[in-house]
Amino acid sequence: MEDPLHPFELHNFFPLSIFGLDISVNKAVLMMWVVVGLVAFLLLKAGTARALVPSKLQSLAELLVDFIRGIIHDTMGASGMRYFPLITTLFLFILFSNLVGLVPGSYTVTSQIIVTGIFAVGVYALSLVVGFKLHGAKFLGILVPPGTPGWLLPLMIPIELISQLARPISLAVRLFANMTAGHTLLKVFAGFVVVMGAAGVVPLLFVVALTGLELLVAFLQAYVFAVLTCIYLNDALHMH
Amino acid sequence: MQSLPTTRLAGKKMAPSQDPMFAGLGQAMRVGTDLLAALIVGGFLGWLIDSYVLDTTPWGVSVGLVLGLIAGIRNAYRAAQRWGK
Repeated sequence: MEDPLHPFELHNFFPLSIFGLDISVNKAVLMMWVVVGLVAFLLLKAGTARALVPSKLQSLAELLVDFIRGIIHDTMGASGMRYFPLITTLFLFILFSNLVGLVPGSYTVTSQIIVTGIFAVGVYALSLVVGFKLHGAKFLGILVPPGTPGWLLPLMIPIELISQLARPISLAVRLFANMTAGHTLLKVFAGFVVVMGAAGVVPLLFVVALTGLELLVAFLQAYVFAVLTCIYLNDALHMH
Repeated sequence: MQSLPTTRLAGKKMAPSQDPMFAGLGQAMRVGTDLLAALIVGGFLGWLIDSYVLDTTPWGVSVGLVLGLIAGIRNAYRAAQRWGK
């Protein structure tokens, strides 16, 4: 049976390096271009008509805008609409990466922890920048929960520091682990189909069911990433 | 068009992100990894202090893991508090 983790390996299509910097194009890079192209194409196509009676695609785009606006209003309030483009971009890129990755033979970009890690660290760094810009040195007060008695400070500050540092890690690991685990499971069961011959119908049914579950997970993970980005930005905007 | 969720969303009675099943699943996804990440960060910081700052093996890792556990449970508790609202 083929190694179920084999599809996650990356091989360079053609090696390329500029000033010692390795910028070779591999499957993940190619799939990121595909995802960006797909999102841009669909949104441009949906947005150019601006019909009063929307087409199917335009309805979908309006539904998406409503969805993201709902997330932002729930977590940050109306003032958070400034971050609407950021949240939408993150949500769409992650969602389409997850969905395109479900097509057999393609590649799930979000199953690479370097991709999810860069997003997570970027979002967290942005929340820090926003916080320090808005509140100055007072922003360090997020390490002290309100109503903490003085004698508890030596204990609370390390705990809060740990929970702050855990944010980007948990953000990155959640997306990466969910995508990798789901796809590995799919590949393991798909391997059983071949090995088990006629009885392979049973794992085949599992694969069908799992694919449905993976569709849900693809949406859910993009949603969770967007919500947490909002929550972290909200903590920076309104301390405590 | 009636069967599409669009009509319900357009009614603005409920924000789509508050759809009980979807939002509930999202919150469930968060707690597990948050707990684990806090534990890992706590242990790692303790290990850093042990190996590079002070020569206090095994105390840094031990204290770090305990603090990480507390931080993780605190996060889960705070996340759960937000659900009620």
